[in-house]
Formats: sequence, C-alpha cells, structure tokens
Amino acid sequence: MELVIDGKQVTAEAGETILQCALRHGIEIPHLCTHPSLPPFGACRMCLVEIEGMRGFPTSCTTPAAAGMTVRTNTPALQELRRNTLALMMIEHPSACLVCAKRELCDQFRPASEKAGRTTGCHTCNNKEVCEVRRLSEELGFCHLPVPPMYHQRPLERDNPFIDRDLNLCILCGRCVRICKHQHGASVIDFVGRSSATKIGEAFGRSLLEAGCRFCGSCVDVCPTGTLADRYAKWYGKPDSAVETTCIFCDAACALNALATDGKLVSAHAVNAGVPVCVLGRFALAEFLNGTDRLRMPHVRVGKVLREHEWDAALETAAARLQPYVGSAFAFVCDTTSTLEDRHVFRKFTREVMQSEHFIELTPDARGEAHVTLPDGVKAACFTGAFADDEAVAGLELLLVQDCYPSPLSERADIVLPAAVFAEIEGTAADRAGAPRPLRRACTPPGQARPDWEIVCGLARAMGANGFLYESAREIALEAGVAEAALWIAREEAPAAARDPRERRTHFRGHDIAEKVLGLKNLPLNGAAPAAVVAATAQAPRAAGKFEILEKSEIAPNNHEIVIHAPHIARKAKAGQFVIVMVDENSERVPYTLCDWDVARGTITLVVQEMGQSSRKLVLKSAGDALAHVVGPLGIPLEIQHYGTVALAGGCYGVGGILPIARAMKDAGNHVIAVVEARSHYLAYYSDKLAGIADEFMQTTIDGSHSFRGHAVDYIGKMLQDGRKLDCVVAIGCPFMMMLTAQETQPHGVKTFVALNPIMLDGTGMCGACRVSVGEETKFACVDGPFFDGHLVDWEEVRDRRVAYSAAEIQSIGRTEPVVAAAHHGGGHACSCK
Amino acid sequence: MPEQAPEDRARNFDEVPYGYTPETAIIEANRCMKCKKPGCVAGCPVHVDIPGFISLVQEGRFIEAAHKLKEQNALPAVCGRVCPQEEQCEIKCILGVKGEPVAIGRLERFVADYERASGNIELPELPPKTGKRVAVVGAGPAGLTVAGDLIRLGHEVTVFEALQAPGGVLTYGIPEFRLPKEIVYAEVHFLERMGVEFVMDFVVGRNATVRELMEEEGYDAVFIGSGAGLPSFMGIPGENLVGVYSANEYLTRSNLMKAYLFPKYDTPPIKRSRVAVIGGGNVAMDAARTALRLGGDVTIVYRRAREQMPARAEEIHHAEEEGVKMMLLNNPTRIIGDERHRVIGMECIKMELGEPDSSGRRRPIPVKGSEFILDVDTVIVAIGNKPNPLIPQTMPGLETTRHGTIVVDENTMATAVPGVFAGGDIVSGAATVISAMGQGRIAAKSIHEYLMGPQAAPVEETAAAQEA
Repeated sequence: MELVIDGKQVTAEAGETILQCALRHGIEIPHLCTHPSLPPFGACRMCLVEIEGMRGFPTSCTTPAAAGMTVRTNTPALQELRRNTLALMMIEHPSACLVCAKRELCDQFRPASEKAGRTTGCHTCNNKEVCEVRRLSEELGFCHLPVPPMYHQRPLERDNPFIDRDLNLCILCGRCVRICKHQHGASVIDFVGRSSATKIGEAFGRSLLEAGCRFCGSCVDVCPTGTLADRYAKWYGKPDSAVETTCIFCDAACALNALATDGKLVSAHAVNAGVPVCVLGRFALAEFLNGTDRLRMPHVRVGKVLREHEWDAALETAAARLQPYVGSAFAFVCDTTSTLEDRHVFRKFTREVMQSEHFIELTPDARGEAHVTLPDGVKAACFTGAFADDEAVAGLELLLVQDCYPSPLSERADIVLPAAVFAEIEGTAADRAGAPRPLRRACTPPGQARPDWEIVCGLARAMGANGFLYESAREIALEAGVAEAALWIAREEAPAAARDPRERRTHFRGHDIAEKVLGLKNLPLNGAAPAAVVAATAQAPRAAGKFEILEKSEIAPNNHEIVIHAPHIARKAKAGQFVIVMVDENSERVPYTLCDWDVARGTITLVVQEMGQSSRKLVLKSAGDALAHVVGPLGIPLEIQHYGTVALAGGCYGVGGILPIARAMKDAGNHVIAVVEARSHYLAYYSDKLAGIADEFMQTTIDGSHSFRGHAVDYIGKMLQDGRKLDCVVAIGCPFMMMLTAQETQPHGVKTFVALNPIMLDGTGMCGACRVSVGEETKFACVDGPFFDGHLVDWEEVRDRRVAYSAAEIQSIGRTEPVVAAAHHGGGHACSCK
Repeated sequence: MPEQAPEDRARNFDEVPYGYTPETAIIEANRCMKCKKPGCVAGCPVHVDIPGFISLVQEGRFIEAAHKLKEQNALPAVCGRVCPQEEQCEIKCILGVKGEPVAIGRLERFVADYERASGNIELPELPPKTGKRVAVVGAGPAGLTVAGDLIRLGHEVTVFEALQAPGGVLTYGIPEFRLPKEIVYAEVHFLERMGVEFVMDFVVGRNATVRELMEEEGYDAVFIGSGAGLPSFMGIPGENLVGVYSANEYLTRSNLMKAYLFPKYDTPPIKRSRVAVIGGGNVAMDAARTALRLGGDVTIVYRRAREQMPARAEEIHHAEEEGVKMMLLNNPTRIIGDERHRVIGMECIKMELGEPDSSGRRRPIPVKGSEFILDVDTVIVAIGNKPNPLIPQTMPGLETTRHGTIVVDENTMATAVPGVFAGGDIVSGAATVISAMGQGRIAAKSIHEYLMGPQAAPVEETAAAQEA
C-alpha cells in the first residue's frame, strides 16, 4: 500500500506501523520506548506524527500504516511537542549536562566519561558515548528545563552479579520489563509503585538474584540510558568493532556479537535479540578472555623452572623431546570444545607424525568437565586443557600442555604453549546436533598466544613432517571436509542455561570459569550448595589502621563528607592543604583536599566523590571503620593576606575545599565573595556554611534550577563585566572548571590561584608523579603547590596526565566484586552514610 | 653462589641469588686467612669484625656469627645484599691480589638469613634506661642504624616515617629481586622488639618541626635521616609527557606500592613495551631490571662509556645478562609526544669522550649532527636525586650547602643546631646504603655523648660490656 511521509511516496508492508515504514525508508522519527526486538508500546510519546484527517498527534509506533495516509513527522509543532515531552522526562533524570551551555567545550576537554559511583550528569555516566537520550536531546535542540528537576536519591544497586543498576537515571520507558517478559515469558522486574514514585524493580524489594533473574543481560542491552549497566564493560565506552561469532562455552553454540575496543574484547551480546543467550555468553566471555593470568608466552622446563622461550625454540625443543615417543607411547588429549579444524590437525598429527592410535577426544559432561584416563603404556602426552589431575599424569615422562590458562597440569608440564581461543580465532565449532557453527576472530590474543592448529602444525613441521603447511583454518576445513558453517541465529527457543542460569556449564578446557569471572561465584548452580554473596566489603577484614571514620554522610549525590580522627593532622592544618589516604594496605595513595578540621576534637573533614577504584573503596567505608593510612597536612598552604576583594570559585569536591579558604581570607580582612557551582539544585552542598562566612554568596546551577544559571566562572565573568573590581580569585574544582576560570580572569589581569590535584604517589616531593608545567617551569604539585598561577598552567598537560592510568583503572573497576546490600548505598538517602 | 638463570629471573620478582647452604658457606669461610692486620675491617664503613664472624662460620656457629655481625651492623641481611663489597671490604682482601677475595658479603648475608630463618633472633641484654629521648627522622638505613645503636645504649627512641612502611630506600627504592622486603621488615621488627617506637605516616616538617619535637614533645636530641628524595630531571623538552617517569616514581610504584601485583594491589604498574632508562648508576639498573620484569624491551641510555658507569659491576652484569640493552655514549636531547601528551619517541645525540672533567672522568662531548630518534614509549629518568628540602625549609638555623645538603661536623655528624644531628643522603647527597649506616653509627655515638655529657662511657666500651 502506498502512503506519503514528509512528502515522500513510500510503500508500506502489511502489518507495518508508520514508524517502521518510515525508518525502513530512511526517514528518522525520534523514538525511545520502541525497540526493534519488542512489540510497540507507545509510552514515551517521542514518535508523535501528524496525519492528515486524523485528530491530534498519534504515536507512529502504534499506528498501522494505511494506504493513502499523508504523514508529517517533523513540523515545528511536533518539534515543540517532543521537546516538551523530553523536558518532562528529563525532570527526573540527571539532565544538567544536556542543557549545559558549555556542553561542547566539556566534551572536547574530556571525551571519556569519569568513572563515578553515582551518576549526576552525562560526563560521569557510563552510557555517555552511546546514550539515546543524549542523542535525542541533541537532535531536538533541547536546552531548557521548564521546572527544577528532582533527584530521587534511590540506592545504587551494585549487589547483583554482573549488573549495576542506578534507577535515578531511569526514564521509565519499560523496555527492560518488556524484553524480560518477551524473552522469558514472565518478567522478574516490573513497574513498582505509583505516580512520581514509580520505578522499575522486583516484587517485594528483592534483589535480581533473589527474584530469579537469568542474567541474560537483555535488559541491559535495550536500556536507552545508563540505568542498567554491564559492570565489566560499562566504562569502556563505545566499542570500535563488532564481529558475529559463536559461543563455545557449551555446545548450544549460540551466535554472539562480540564487541571490541583496540583489539580487546569488551562484551558480547546475543546476535538474535529476540532469543537470549545465557549468562556465560553474555557476561563471562570478555572477562574470561581478558584474564590477567592468561598464558602469553611459550615455556620450557629447564631444571626445576618453566622458562620463557620464543616460539621457534620452544617448538624445536618440544619436537626433539617428542621424537623418542613416536608410536603408542604418545597420546593427544583434547575435548570437543576445540574447533573441527583443530581436532583434524590434532588427529592427523597423532596418527601421521606420532604414529599413535591414542588420539583422545573427550566429550565434556553437562558442566563442561572432562577427565581422561590415559591408556597403559603412554609415556608422553599433549593436553589442550586441564583434563587430568596430578595422579593421572604421574607416570608420564613428557607432558606438553597447550592451553589458555595455567592449571595444576601446566604447572607440572615440561612444555607449556599459549593457546588463542574462542573469539580470538577462526574456525568451525560443532554444536550439539553436529551442525557446523563459525568462529570468527573478534579480538587479539594475549601476548604470543596462537590458535591450537597453528601450534600443532608448527610442532609437526619441527618434527620434519610434511602436510602441515596450512595458511588458514579454512584450508584445513576444506581438507577435512568440514561443511560451510552458519551462525545459529534463528533459534526458536532459548538454550537451557539462558532459561535457568543454574543449568550453565562451569568448566571450559578443564578450567573453572568462576575462578576467572568473579560474578559467577555469586550465582547459584543446580546441585551445588547455594552460594553466599561474595562481597568485597564483607570479606575484607577491617583495616587495622588507627584513623577512625567518626562520621560519614552523603551530603549531596556522590559527594561524601567524611570526618576522620587524626589529631596530629588537625593541629597543623592550614587552608589549602591536602592529605594522602590509603584505605587499606593494598590501596593507592590518593590526595584529598582538607575541607575542614577541628583541633579540639582532633578531626579532619574531607569531601570525597566516588570517581574510580580508590575513592570507591573510601566511600564504601562506614563510620566506625578505620583507614589504614592518612598522612598530612601536605602542600604549601594558600598565601593568605589582605588582597581586598577576593572571589572564591568552587565546583564538585572543591566546594568543600574553599570553605577553610573563605574563613582564612575573611579573617585576613578581605571582602569575600564565594561563588559555588552545582550542576543542579539538588547537588549543592555547604551553601549555608559558606553563606555564613562569606560577605557575598552565590550558588550557581548549570541547569538553572536555582538562582544564577551557569558555571561559577560565568558569574565571575559577569561581575568583571559589570565592572566589579576583584583583587584575587581562587578556583578549586576539576581541571575543566579551573581552566575556564583562569581563562576568564586573564584578560582582566586578576591574580588567579588554582589548586591542582594531579596523580600523586608519596605526596612529599619524592617521586615527581605530580609534575605540572607552570609557565616555563616544571613544578611538583605536592611540594610546590597545590596552588599555582592559573594563567600559567598548561591545562592540556594537566588533563592528559590525570588520565594516564585510565585503562588500568577500568580493568580494575571491571573486576570489582558486588557490594553487599548492607554496605552499599541502601535505604533511601543513605549509602553507608548516616 | 648459585643464582636464578637470567632467562628465568628476567620475568619474575624473586631474589636473584639463592644464597649459600651451610656446607658451601663453611667451604667459603675456610678460605679466609685470618690476617693479623685485616684490611677488610679497615675497608668497612662500620668496621665489622669480619675475620671474627668468619671464624665462627668456619666452626658452624652461625647464630654466634650473626651476633658478632650485629655488634657493628644493625642490618646485616640488608648489607650482605646491597653493599658494594668490591670497593670496601673485599677489595682489601689479601686473597684478591691473586685470585678471588673471600665472598664476605655473601657470608654476611648467609649468616643473617640463617639467624632469621631459625626464627629465634635473640634480643641483646639492654642497659638500664637513661631517661633520654631521641627522635629519628626517617626510617631509612641511616635512621635504622641510629635507632638500633641508641636503643642498645639505654635511650628511648622514636622513629618518624612519612611513608606507610619503614625502610626508606630499602623499601621504596631497591627492588624485591635484590632485597626482599620481608628482610627489611624483619630487621625493623627486631628493632621494635628492642623497644624502638615507629610512627608511620608522620611528616616531620609538617606534623611537627624538628624544633617542636624538641621543645614541645620533649625529645632531647634529633637525628635527621630524611634522605635524598627529590628526583632530578634533565631539563630537556618533553619531560612532562605521559610515559616519562623519575626512577623514584617507577620504583616506588613497583616496590612500595606493589604495582607488579596489580590488580591485587590498586596501584597500576607501568606496563609498556619499549623502555629507555637514562643514567648509568645502580638506580638506573634497578629501574631497567624492573621494567624488564614488567614485560618491557629495555635500553639503558648513558652519555659516557661503560668504564665510567657509576653502577656496581655486578649490577651492570646482571642487567645485561637478563637482556637489558646498553646504548653508551648517547645523550637524550628531547622527548617526543603525540597529541594526547604520550611519549612516542626520544631524540638522542651521539657523544664522544674528551678531556677529563672535575670528576676525573673524561668529559662526554656531543657529536654534531648525529641526532637520531629512539623508538620508545616509556622513559625513566635515573640521573640522581637531590636532598629532600622539607626539613631544611622548615628549620631556621640549620646550615645547608648550595646543593641543599645539611652541613655537619664530619666527626660527630652534629649540625649547626645543638642537639640536632644528621646523616645519610641528606648530608652526602645520593650515596650508598652502607655509607648512610656508617654516618648513622658516628651520629649515634655523638648523640650518646651529647646526651650523657663528657662522663659518658665510650660507645665501644658499653657495647663490649654488654657482650661480657
């Protein structure tokens, strides 16, 4: 049937909605709640259109296309309607960054998001690079909130395996509820509560685990916001490659879309979004392949130790050592998770080169385990996995292991060769029914690991054999008569483990997958004792430190005020100094600005934002806990003198940092103007304290939800333009905020101090990690700073040095274990905070 | 002494030499001729009775040998590993004239390890308390020596340390494969058992000045052993790029913060592939060998020739054996970065040797037009350290040189301020562990005399009396 959309003649197929038809013809209609793998819902009202002869604005996602329709999708009235609809949604979303006037500058200065605990804006959101709301707001030119937004301060949910949930970002599109129902028949989550208290959740306040979640991850995949996140993958940003391959954790052989960044696998999703994959396919693959203890180099035993060798040398040694065992004294042991090509080469090598009948192909049991009993007379063996215990191989004179991970077997092997597996290789896997399924290379193997067939071919050639000169797995497939493989996409029903994760396999090539993928430890197994939730905070003994946390409260979302007993620091603290904190004996040394202190009580006060592994550890502590090490006061205090009129600009944690400076500047007889910024009104803190000290106080909000709209620098710029004379400006906040402030004051020639907070190690001048370029000179922020002339600082260098360890940090955070409910941000306003 | 093969140890952080067995130790000890006038003792900065402890080894009396060592040396397990014996005791050994000198350092190490492994480290009998209190600033080799000596003389000793763990350069600087940290902590624990109080996370100059320690906290004397903890850079373009590290930072991450055990420990290591280490001293060797163990392809860039390298011959040998490459007579001129301030290369210039300079070594001169670019992504600057300025800055009256070192009377290690003594790298610039300990020993003796007045029994006699 024919219809007209935006003046274009289009043909609709039977049963198609207007939205589907438009999208198919390349006409973009904004939409949020609709998802290609879900039936229409009509909740978000983004896809409204005008249809001639029809009253009002029907939703194109629920309106069937009909012959003769004339549809308009992009009139000014529709644009206005959509903007207003989005605005209503954004009132209950941390939306300040969407309406921020400095959005583009900010994106340029810090393209990657910061790894915050609680997300309070786009640049601390794990979803920033792929966010549908963000894209939509750009398309619609959304730049204004009609009324101040609200923040529910819902608890951060980080106590489930694999999935982090922050319902404060949720726009109630219902995709997660619908996909769960669609895929599993009944949803473990639903809309809970009414009106503005409505949220997504499980019945009776249970956790996902308790509610019987299958951890298929479909809800995470369809979430248009950062509400639902894959804990391991969340900070990697937008992947740069996607390859469809086959999961070989079990013989269900599901088709997976493997996503990688810089050759490193980040996550994997079901290729067919309509049928879920199991927890292993969805969540275990990236963590398994990226394990830090993967075998990377060939090793040959020399004396008592396994010594690293180059491939050629290792293969030559292996060949020479194997030579005496040609005949029945040799056995090759693999299991059927190896590709058909690999197994063809293994068999050929065993029969033709080693001339042995002992090619042993194990079929893993329902859990993926396989154990071999070596035939009598076998004196040398090659294993592709941990398929035997120590006793079973005790009689061997020569043991070769080619595998992806070390095992007790490889520890006692004479030669260990690193194997590339899974999404690192090409080849063909056989599924349960024997059908060929393709493996395609989606990421780079670790170190010098090679595909198994390459290893064995190299070995065969080193032994002087002919017929092992394959260029590719495809060539082997042709020789072996392996049929053309096809991804198993059109699966009717989900595999058993996707319907019930307790049915999943536990082993791959003899390795316990849960040892490599920590989240699995918390997920029950059929026939196994129910696992207690293993939680990092529950396991770790309380630090033996003497620095007790006396009080702790989340004074604004993600801003934690922590009062620590440290009399010797309080006694000496001066405005502008900092301390270095080690939460436990394994922690990093991280600097935090001193926000307050009380000599009589012997306490110091810090304001800490969760922004990575170390601050995460700190904010997960509770009052009564002790910190292992706190050292300070460090740095040179700010030069306090009578300047005249002093403007103090504070942002983020820096709002706390200007508190003691305001006090000291006031005491020195200055006229103090405190200007503090918050993204939105609910993120403001210390307003009363600062207003009580400063002569003038201004709380700015970036979304305009309270008082002056803009950054602190905008207000300072306004004062300067209005002809106010400022004698000195002090800015404390993130580098972006301090840079903007310095740029604003420079043309006016106002002396501007900024407090630099780069990565530090010792904090006493010993290492130079905190080097900054100020003018022509190199300074150490810890002993020459933290205060420098903001007009002379090389800001791009400051920015780039701060993110020097981001990749390592993402890896470290990705592997953090779930947080137990009691210790996390549970119960309304509280984290562990009172 | 047997050691891990270079191919193996280049990929692990385990100690390189395995150490003597009792049998091999006795065989080695039996080579000692027990000279009438032992040159080795004269060569030792702390004058250990070397023939004395070696004869006890010959008799298999290892524990007694350890006690003999400890009369003069508070940290034998450490010194046996890191002292440059080839320029001190062993160079004076008469056997060295025609062959190999007695392996004094290895025997010292064996004896100390034997005692520690026995789990039965006996406490010496301590004299009655004098009631005098001494503050030691810095828990490095100098400070630990002073603390050990003074506690044995009956004084109360508190050691203040800024970092989270004691040991100073023994902990943050020298890598695990040269000096296992367990040994440092065992030595510290021994001092604790004798009654030395250790206060970590305390920065003298910030939490209290030296004057406040004396006037408000009631310390009768203070020893400053705050070390040479301020890294030097070359002053060439590109030194602040991401990927350029001081050797101090690189080693502190690995040694003190245990970054090589990341992610078990939170501090990330610096794992990059092509590493240049600039400098030719022991610290450069330590940094290069650490980088190698973290998986790097490592080249040392040094502006003079091999003969002029200040590092111990053994360290250079170990580094080369493990696969560290040497680019001698080359000097960096600038470091090149990409648009995100990450190192992508280093420009060097070839050098040739000219006339000797003030140090007596032939001066390196750049060869015009010989610049070339070295393909690296990490640069570790190991060209030395300056004294930590924190205490001199916060202590008026203290005399310092233009290099920032504290001026002392060499015979007593007394500073210009009465009751304040100093020793180690804060006095001598960047030197060795044993020279710091030697200065600590002198300082302890004069602190004792300062505290007890002219009537004080000489230190040697007190120690001898204890033995008796």
